[in-house]
Amino acid sequence: MSEQVAVDVDSVTKDFGDIKALNGVSLRVRRGEIYGLLGPNGAGKTTLIRSIVGLIKPNSGTVTVLGRKLPNLDVLREVGYMTQQAALYPGLSVEENVRFFAAINGVESGVKDALEFVDLYARRGSVVSTISGGMRQRCSLACALVHRPQLLLLDEPTVGVDPQLRVQFWEQFRRMAADGTTIIVSSHVMDEAERCQRLGLIQYGRLLAEGSPSEVRAQAGTQNLEEAFLRLAGEKVS
Amino acid sequence: MSGHRIGAITRRLLQGFRRDRRTLALLFVAPLVILGLLGYMLRNSSTPAVGVVNEDSGPLGAVVSSALDSSTKVAATHIAASDGDSKLKDGSIVAYIVLPSDFSQRAQGGVIAPQVHLEGSQPNAAVQVLQALQSALASAASNRPGAVQVQPDVTYLYGGPSLDTLDYFGAAAIGLIVFFLVFVVTIVSFLNERSQGTLERLMASPLRRGEIVVGYMIGFTVLALVQSVEVLLFALYVLNVHNQGNVLLIFGIEALMAITAVNLGIFLSMFARTEFQAVQFIPLVIVPQFLLSGILFPVRSEPTWLQYVSNVLPLTHAVNALRDVMLKGADLTWSSLQLDAGVVAGFVVLFIVAGTATLRRGVA
Repeated sequence: MSEQVAVDVDSVTKDFGDIKALNGVSLRVRRGEIYGLLGPNGAGKTTLIRSIVGLIKPNSGTVTVLGRKLPNLDVLREVGYMTQQAALYPGLSVEENVRFFAAINGVESGVKDALEFVDLYARRGSVVSTISGGMRQRCSLACALVHRPQLLLLDEPTVGVDPQLRVQFWEQFRRMAADGTTIIVSSHVMDEAERCQRLGLIQYGRLLAEGSPSEVRAQAGTQNLEEAFLRLAGEKVS
Repeated sequence: MSGHRIGAITRRLLQGFRRDRRTLALLFVAPLVILGLLGYMLRNSSTPAVGVVNEDSGPLGAVVSSALDSSTKVAATHIAASDGDSKLKDGSIVAYIVLPSDFSQRAQGGVIAPQVHLEGSQPNAAVQVLQALQSALASAASNRPGAVQVQPDVTYLYGGPSLDTLDYFGAAAIGLIVFFLVFVVTIVSFLNERSQGTLERLMASPLRRGEIVVGYMIGFTVLALVQSVEVLLFALYVLNVHNQGNVLLIFGIEALMAITAVNLGIFLSMFARTEFQAVQFIPLVIVPQFLLSGILFPVRSEPTWLQYVSNVLPLTHAVNALRDVMLKGADLTWSSLQLDAGVVAGFVVLFIVAGTATLRRGVA
């Protein structure tokens, strides 16, 4: 396998009872790339992300992260994961939360950098239960990247985030990617998709199309991604 | 007031319960289990076992001992005087009554003087034995009109006449309180870890499952130990609960109980999705254990099949150990204490393993 591949998902299937959450998904994400997972609610985006961080064991298929086949606890040291809702300890301060996630990943430094990165350094002493939703989202991001992971997985990081903050987030993602961090981000917001280098369209647990935003548009023969997505999704179903 | 709107609320409530089979089970099964257990224990519990030693050379001894045989308050058996103390120690009897060789003779002189040897750590049983003896003597004395003085000679293996009900329950209660509160706090906080999504984050980190469980255990144990110290000091120095044993040993047993409760809480939190469901474990896990642990009714007085259940519960052994130490002055050389402490420690290991094993399942 190429050194340039950060994540290699090979024919992964995952059932939850009768529901096929993932139905033979294969994709490769290159190092330093921002890869967008697009799809409607319930398409399998979260399941795919969870299988890349080893939270879900696929029924079949393999997941290889940073050259190591899962399950592998050690590789998780190099992975940052931001869950859909800001999963934080409400009784701890912003800084205490970030420090905790640093500690469980085995690092002690970088807390200040992470807090400055998400512009929360001034509010570091605030208890999480008292801060706004947007700040929690930023604190959650700081917790995911405090240990400087090589791979960052973001599950709908901008849900409930105002447009201004969303722009800030994406600036930060681009900066990190420029520094060599691989970022996989899920979304169902199409204007975010334009900001990714490559996209994977997911529906009914399948990868419908893959490519840069312009390639995806060209493949569907449409002018914008939203139409492209609807057209591609419609073709596969029928 | 609108009947329509009120109806909507009522309907919504019942609709929700229809899908919540766990709560339905709790509402309609738990009362039967708890009441049934209580009823069965109260109705079918056996009376305290008492040994009778009749050494009287005269006729009165036989009268009293047969009166004791037919007593409904105690279950009398005839034993040899030399076996009395060992039977008291192993718990097969709570008292033995000796009618000495000069029993009839002294009664002629107007003094009825049986010897009562009480185990001493169970005030309720002692009262029952003395009442049974009293009525047995009354029937004997009724044959002999005239001034008769009853002077039982009471000795105690453990404790003494000053031991009261609080001393008996206090020893168990300090264990129960710690066990119960630590369990509730643990199960709810571990559940929060899941519902706020942080557990998922922990599982996606290099943390091992065992590390999470042990880390939790140490944190709660620190809290529980502080609580144990507080409860113990309050019981000993404010309530003056009788203690004959080593305070450090009591503390050690409390610590073991606390660790058991922590791990039970972690383990059971895997089977609850909300705090409401977690609290539902109290009537299912704590109340039956409380009834069966011997705190209220001695395990030996339970019907045999319930005794088997009681003996596999951690709380039973912890309560027994605490009573052994505080009322009987047991130390670590006692085989009964070794067994109780060993069983509780075994449960700690069992729950740690079970909690760790079910952790992954709980995340998805």
